[in-house]
Amino acid sequence: MKSDTLIEIRGLGKSFPGVKALEDVSFDIRRGSVHCIVGENGAGKSTFIKILTGALQRSAGTMTLDGAAYEPRSVRDAMSRGISVLYQELNVVDDLSVEENLCLGKEKSRFGFTLPDPEREKVAEMLRSLEPSIRLDMRVRDLSVAQKQMIEIVKALSSDCSVLVMDEPTAAISEEEVKRLFAVVAKLKAAGATIVYISHKLGEIFEIGDWVTVFRDGRMIETKPIPEIAASCRDLPEACVELVRMMLGKVVTEAYSPRPNRSEEVLLAARRLGNARLKDVGFELRAGEILGFYGLVGAGKTEVARALFGIDRHSGELELRGRRLDLRSPRAAIKAGISLVPEERRADGIFGKLSIRANVPVMRMASVLRLGLIDRRLEERLADGYMGKMSVNARDREQQVASLSGGNQQKVVIAKCLNREGSVFLMDEPTRGVDVGAKKEIHDIIRGLADAGKGVIVFTSELPEAVHLCDRIVLMHDGRVRAVVENGADLDHDRIMALVAGGEADR
Amino acid sequence: MVRNAVAARRMDLQKAVLLGVIALISLALAALTPSFLSLRNFTNVLLQVAVVVVVASAANLLMVTGHFDLSIGGVLAFSGILYAFLAKRGIPLGAAMALTCGVAALWGSINGLTVGGLGITPVIATMGTMYAARGFAYLIARWDGGANISTGLPPDFSDFGRSMVFGQVPVVILIMAVAVGVFAFIERRTKLGRYAYAIGGNASAARLSGVRVTGIVFLLYVLVAVLAAICGIFQVSRVGLAAPNIAQGLEFDVVVAIVLGGTSMLGGEGSIWGMILGALVVGLAANGLNLLGVPFFYQEIVKGLLLLFAVFADQRVRRLA
Repeated sequence: MKSDTLIEIRGLGKSFPGVKALEDVSFDIRRGSVHCIVGENGAGKSTFIKILTGALQRSAGTMTLDGAAYEPRSVRDAMSRGISVLYQELNVVDDLSVEENLCLGKEKSRFGFTLPDPEREKVAEMLRSLEPSIRLDMRVRDLSVAQKQMIEIVKALSSDCSVLVMDEPTAAISEEEVKRLFAVVAKLKAAGATIVYISHKLGEIFEIGDWVTVFRDGRMIETKPIPEIAASCRDLPEACVELVRMMLGKVVTEAYSPRPNRSEEVLLAARRLGNARLKDVGFELRAGEILGFYGLVGAGKTEVARALFGIDRHSGELELRGRRLDLRSPRAAIKAGISLVPEERRADGIFGKLSIRANVPVMRMASVLRLGLIDRRLEERLADGYMGKMSVNARDREQQVASLSGGNQQKVVIAKCLNREGSVFLMDEPTRGVDVGAKKEIHDIIRGLADAGKGVIVFTSELPEAVHLCDRIVLMHDGRVRAVVENGADLDHDRIMALVAGGEADR
Repeated sequence: MVRNAVAARRMDLQKAVLLGVIALISLALAALTPSFLSLRNFTNVLLQVAVVVVVASAANLLMVTGHFDLSIGGVLAFSGILYAFLAKRGIPLGAAMALTCGVAALWGSINGLTVGGLGITPVIATMGTMYAARGFAYLIARWDGGANISTGLPPDFSDFGRSMVFGQVPVVILIMAVAVGVFAFIERRTKLGRYAYAIGGNASAARLSGVRVTGIVFLLYVLVAVLAAICGIFQVSRVGLAAPNIAQGLEFDVVVAIVLGGTSMLGGEGSIWGMILGALVVGLAANGLNLLGVPFFYQEIVKGLLLLFAVFADQRVRRLA
């Protein structure tokens, strides 16, 4: 008699040099269930999935699959044990046909020539039953994202998979297609498959999930049956809030100290901003203010930053000091006086191969030019100035920025933006991946900017940071502004969490 | 050049190795063939190397942005033919030079637009220009009535190419010195230079820092083309006739010189001084093979091996650093 538990995870841990990505994770995945995994970025979800599917090796703990020890050395290994994964980035070959994609890697051949394959019919039948709109001879390039997903599902199923891991499968498909995907998931479940489902869309968890595991800070917080959570809540939004509470934990924040220098002068005004990801976003940034944007992953924070910085086009109006802005590029935004500290400093912020001295002036080369030419002494003085003011820890100003720690790299990027001496500073996740000491220093720098009369917008997915730093907080969910709250001693954390989880905007 | 401790050490090591190789080749050739140490031979080597160095001065900065230009040889040949064509028809030499450089700048603009504006990969885009420019060179020669333009040129046509500066120094040295000087200066002291390194190091960060990436890449392609034109004008002036089939493979000599000299093909680092050493290595190697009577195609093989070696060594040293 087969036991109820398919996969047992005990004491699973994963360490990288200097950081524990996972610690002491233990829970069970039941046969034939849809087991959902939730958690904010950095919570350990992806690390866990990578270990489960063989892409990473665990540092500690054990896993058993169907009663036998499960220690996959590679993704192929995991696949041979029946665990397949569907990533967000689709793994289909656009230029081949559906049939060729389905048989990829498993073609029957003799002396290199492909042979007709009896398995083909089985796979074709599977495809027909799941998604009849796809024919074997269609070119994959012509298919929609949802259809490509179906092909990947069929491909996984045809290699005898018993556990299908789906990573954010609904991120890029329409509501209609989501319904069809859920129907397929139900069919798979009925046929005995086990689904591990990762998603940021909490509503979906309650729609198709049987169990949910919440990760936070590298640990497994809770594993509960969905009906149990749903039963204790009045309605869906409240249930989502409950999940969010588990994901975020008790919000321990340092006290917010009200800042004296805030004026009433409106620096930046946004009205009805909209594009593919934003809906009707409006807010005001005042001089001398630190405005926070807070929300869960996918809420639209970075999209607002991109719109304000001229990276993405948008409908609606943007005004700087009353003057209408029509930003078509980052260059235009910088010219208008808006600087951005990007979310990904390695990819978008630093010039790794160059020295600190060479990095700092790039946003405003005029600061180091004399008679139109780069003056070495000006450069050195500029770099020294910022390195001192921001306590950049480096060997000297000639050190390659790529070799600095994350916190120091971030400081170099901030210095580059500060050097622009604009009026509005956008900071997207300014302390992500930064050690505690540097985090405090960066917060002080931000406060210093605001005290000097600049306007700073901090986009963050850490509520403690928003509460500690920001004068007002814009709460976002699903591309919309849910509320703008004034920071103070009576800040209602519960209401905040409810709003960013999609709950009702009451009162 | 923007340096830092680690990269500086690697660059110095690379330059030391190159200098060593140059010394080695020179000694070996001096021992093997008596004609190596003659003035005529030195002049030959110098002329070969000069063209590469002049064009590579600009091409180096282009490669620092992570782009390169395969149309150099074609544009050079085209410019020589056009210059001779115009001179033959009575256009004053100065005006002919300016006009030729102007048309070459157009070829460069095409590269700039296709690579920068349309985002076509440099290999394909500049290969197209290479064929087109050389095709036009043959065409113009045909319009003139023959395969080459060798007759009917004004009497002072060769004055420029064969002139001596300060009495003793061939004009090509002056051109080389000016080109190197200008671009070394641009590299270190100008916004253009800094932006080039920024683009090559991290194009996305450059864009988000307000750098006009397409504009700079465009400008560099134009500069490379103009320098190729100057070399073309100089060469046909020195020889006294213009042929559409010269400078075949020049673009690869330029790439080898640049990569041997320490400029990464991915962009973001490298300086003009290393390039000069690289050009010398290639020039001396080719010269040596010539003097030793090695058939021409072996030289091509050696160049190919040098290029492979240069790229391979570049990767390995990078992994060490």
